Amino acid sequence: MSALLKKDWFGLGLVLIFGSILISLFKPAFISPFNLYVLMLSVSLMLVVAMSQMIIIAIGQMNLSVGAIGGLVAISFTGLMEVYSMSILPAVLIGLLIGLACGFINGYITVKTGISAFIITLATLYIFKGMNLGITEAQPFYEIPEAVKFFGNAKIFGPIPYLVIIPIIITVLMWILMNRTSLGRYMLAYGNNVQSSELIGISSTKIVIYAHVISGLLAAIGGMLVVCRLQLGTPNIGDSWLLPSFAAPVIGGAILAGGKVDVIATAFGVILVSIISQALVIFKIDPFFVQIFLGFMILLAVFINRYREYREERRTKVFSDE
Amino acid sequence: MSDYILELNNITKNFPGVKALDNANFRLKKKSIHALLGENGAGKSTLIKIITGVYNQNEGKLFLNNQEKSFSSPNEAMNAGISVVHQERNLIRRFSVGENLMLTNLPKNNLGLIDYNTVAKESKKWLDIMELDIDPNTIVSDLTVAKMQLCEIAKALSLESKILLLDEPTSSLSPQDTKNLFALLKRLVAEQDVSIVFVSHKLEEVFEICDEVTVLRDGKNACESEQITNLNRQKLVKLMIGRDEQIIKSKKNIDFTDESLLDLQSINTDLGHKNINLNLKKGEILGLYGLVGAGRTELIKCVLGLDKINSGQILLNNKEIKIKSPKDALEKYKIGYISEDRKKEGLILMHDVLSNAGITVWSNLKKILSFLNDSIVYNKVDPYVKQLEVKTPSYQQIVSNLSGGNQQKISVAKWLASGTDILFIDEPTVGIDIKTKSYLHELIIELSLKGTSIILITSDMPEMISLADRIITMKDFKVVGETINNHNYEEMSSSIMGNIHE
Amino acid sequence: MNNKIPNFVKTNQFGLLILVIVFICIFSFSTDGFTSRFNIYALSRVVALDIMIGLAMMVVILTGGLNLSLGALGVSAAMFGGWCMESMGIPISITIILVLAFGSFLGWINGFVTVRTGVHSFIVTLATMSIYFGFMTLLTEAEAFRKLPEAFTDFGSLKLFNKYISPLLIISVLTCFVLYYIFKYTDIGRKLIAAGANPDAAELSGISVDRMFIYCHMLSGFLAALAGIMLTARIGAAIPSMAGHLGFDWLLPAFLAPVLGGTLLSGGKVTVFGTMLGAILVTLINNGLYLIDVGEFWVRFFLGIILLGAVLLDRAREYFTVKNSIVS
Repeated sequence: MSALLKKDWFGLGLVLIFGSILISLFKPAFISPFNLYVLMLSVSLMLVVAMSQMIIIAIGQMNLSVGAIGGLVAISFTGLMEVYSMSILPAVLIGLLIGLACGFINGYITVKTGISAFIITLATLYIFKGMNLGITEAQPFYEIPEAVKFFGNAKIFGPIPYLVIIPIIITVLMWILMNRTSLGRYMLAYGNNVQSSELIGISSTKIVIYAHVISGLLAAIGGMLVVCRLQLGTPNIGDSWLLPSFAAPVIGGAILAGGKVDVIATAFGVILVSIISQALVIFKIDPFFVQIFLGFMILLAVFINRYREYREERRTKVFSDE
Repeated sequence: MSDYILELNNITKNFPGVKALDNANFRLKKKSIHALLGENGAGKSTLIKIITGVYNQNEGKLFLNNQEKSFSSPNEAMNAGISVVHQERNLIRRFSVGENLMLTNLPKNNLGLIDYNTVAKESKKWLDIMELDIDPNTIVSDLTVAKMQLCEIAKALSLESKILLLDEPTSSLSPQDTKNLFALLKRLVAEQDVSIVFVSHKLEEVFEICDEVTVLRDGKNACESEQITNLNRQKLVKLMIGRDEQIIKSKKNIDFTDESLLDLQSINTDLGHKNINLNLKKGEILGLYGLVGAGRTELIKCVLGLDKINSGQILLNNKEIKIKSPKDALEKYKIGYISEDRKKEGLILMHDVLSNAGITVWSNLKKILSFLNDSIVYNKVDPYVKQLEVKTPSYQQIVSNLSGGNQQKISVAKWLASGTDILFIDEPTVGIDIKTKSYLHELIIELSLKGTSIILITSDMPEMISLADRIITMKDFKVVGETINNHNYEEMSSSIMGNIHE
Repeated sequence: MNNKIPNFVKTNQFGLLILVIVFICIFSFSTDGFTSRFNIYALSRVVALDIMIGLAMMVVILTGGLNLSLGALGVSAAMFGGWCMESMGIPISITIILVLAFGSFLGWINGFVTVRTGVHSFIVTLATMSIYFGFMTLLTEAEAFRKLPEAFTDFGSLKLFNKYISPLLIISVLTCFVLYYIFKYTDIGRKLIAAGANPDAAELSGISVDRMFIYCHMLSGFLAALAGIMLTARIGAAIPSMAGHLGFDWLLPAFLAPVLGGTLLSGGKVTVFGTMLGAILVTLINNGLYLIDVGEFWVRFFLGIILLGAVLLDRAREYFTVKNSIVS
């Protein structure tokens, strides 16, 4: 039990359960099938985006270009199908390849130059976004195959949309990656302590590039899922991803200095953000308030994380010499 | 075939302006514990860094098991079986003990996923060998520093290391932990076929567990692989500091019954200082002696307001004062601090000489609307920079391009310029050439003769006995002794060491 | 070191200056209308804003931090100004003072939270960006203030020097001189730089680093608010979306100018005139790209490439520069 209490996701889980009960007591509409359906759709999309950022946070960096990669892949995916009448599967594969390439560029430049990933991904954000606008001239692609539309809208049963399948698989895979594979553990070790991980022979180049490639792939999947959901490929897909992509991992206890992320807690962070946004809509609160709320949530989470870290440090610092 | 596991022959290592090692030799016998001794700056750490692949030597050869080797990275040295045991530094703090031990080769199950049961089982083996009662699932950051260090050793063993380098391993350990560590080291040498290089300032520990001793002085061998049984404490000290080390006798007469200038009364701090009482007379040099981790620098930082003082009083001229920050100390009470870490805390390396030497006086020099130009600063600091004979092409020279000695002079010059009444001077001569060192010694005495009161922190015993008027000994964040310095090296050092090890 | 070459030639600014001249020459010869009065005037209005935004970012980069909330902060301040003038009828001069104070206050929040939590300013300003922009949209209901006093909007469209130059550019250039003066010739400026270069050493030398960092964030807020006012005067209205969603449109010029200008991202170095030249270069390239018709949508792409090139140069410079003055 005490081990459970220590987990990052435990407290969040409690907040989620009690929060949902509370909201549905006041507004039963909150648990209406339609509302749950909308909630699940929003969680599905955000989950992938949050994971895409989380893996970069794990190695102690950040990726501003998550949204730009998602947008570029979204329009490429739809463009290939509309303009070149490509069938779905090759279009998906090319979309994934683009995401992989974008991630590789980010990782390669970051690790080879030693410049902060912030500034590199800010530059690639504009490059990818610029390519997006250059290709589309800011016009959406509308011709989407029926199968894609179906996948984006249909329900498996009850209120559960097909769209949740991929994000759930991704979350499970991410959990396995970060908790049960050497690659994931080495990423965390690298984020914790670059020097000592290099000392035991973990290659920085490999770790950083892998993390960025996975981030790029996830952003690509996110972009394509949004296409399914919206039933069209607009150039502004991904524009609003930045804030929530950081919000969910940070709310989930991730420490931006690296080495500490929790997949489950991040998923709970996504659900929490979605529930709050949804609740604000149901309570007819100005949607702009969501933005403010998100900002405050990040600050609050940062304060809490900081406090926990401080206590952790305090315990061992006293008699260490330096 | 020699029975040496590691041999370094005629090693020379040059750094810009300094010969850190000059034809130094080091030979480690199989299954022995070998002490590597020397003063700060004698070349110990350079030698260790060459053994562990951080640096490459300019001249000389390194043999491991009679084969010539050259390591281009610490990882290569580690794979060859050489591990450095730092304190807590090489562990991933958020991972479990078991995972840290197994990290280079995590056991997998059939699906290729990490099998944490096996991780725990395998790592437990190593913990058992060391007779360590630690659950492998414990998160490292939950361990005490002593346990972390033992885990580091366990990790080194799990990597099949045959040579362990222990650098000041006991500096943050309690006497009991130290005893346990020594018992363990002896057993490892006897049972696990391990050889150990032991670096420590504490000579009594060397006599307790080491078989052989190599002493470095100014980058050269003062002795090489001497049997410990042939040495005694005095001989060892002589080897380390050299025969010609002089104890300067300052011709000062401090009346210790005078009123104190600065008086710390029953200070308890957030960092763990217990009931600290000490007073500083006008014009006195008060030495603070202690081993690394005794809490001396930390005490000064608490006095400067950087960490919290929980109870007790600070009196300046018999009036209670509260120092909130170094800014407060400088501007309100004319107290300054020359840091031991000049690169990180003493200087702004990327800035030029003028801006570093003048940083403490800007506030005093500013004119209306906070106006301040280079020539105003120059006029103020120039006399001090000249007095200290800082060798720099110009005041616009970036400080990182100067030699260590000149850098230290600048970090002293800025406090001279600020005209403080009280100076805390922390390890002023670490890593500095002999000439600058004796120059700084004279300067410190001269300052005190002119009326500046000084608290001097140094781990360099001869330096302490040369300079201090009175010596306070600290241990484990407490004051354990006070001695009026009679500048007799033998008497003073045994009295001080007596205070530490009673 | 070759002593025959004057130091100025070795600096980054000199390289920038050459680049600016080269680009001017290229665009003047290869495009029609680059040197036209209309185009130069338009350029001067754009460049004025880019300089101000770049300076606002530069003073935070000085601390080794970032200010993502720059755009949101600037627009919030501008909307506050619009409200003061249009809804409250407050005179222009007092409004400007209020807006600048408001901007400084928002900057103070950024600085205070950053210093107190010890969290990197990236995450703090990411959050405040969202908060400032959210409150602004909420309070204004996303409506613009379009009925501003004529004296104010007239100033924005005033043409000086034979109708070539906007007065906004004069303000920006003056601001550069003031900042240069502060960093080079005042006690406080020196302390700001020292605190940014090595906080530990600065603290132990008797500088209150926390206060200095807060000052930097306040100065950033002040300059962003000034940029907000200038933009309002230029377009003759205060519009919530004038810096894009969350003020993101300001972010690229904000980083480009100081990074091109040679400000070190790790802090401790300011280049006021480098930032000015960086902003001019960016505006020139931007303008030139439009004129040679790469298509407006590709402009962003090229700016991204330029930023990438600039940071790579920045990296190279860290290896190759032996000496460089701290303030330039």
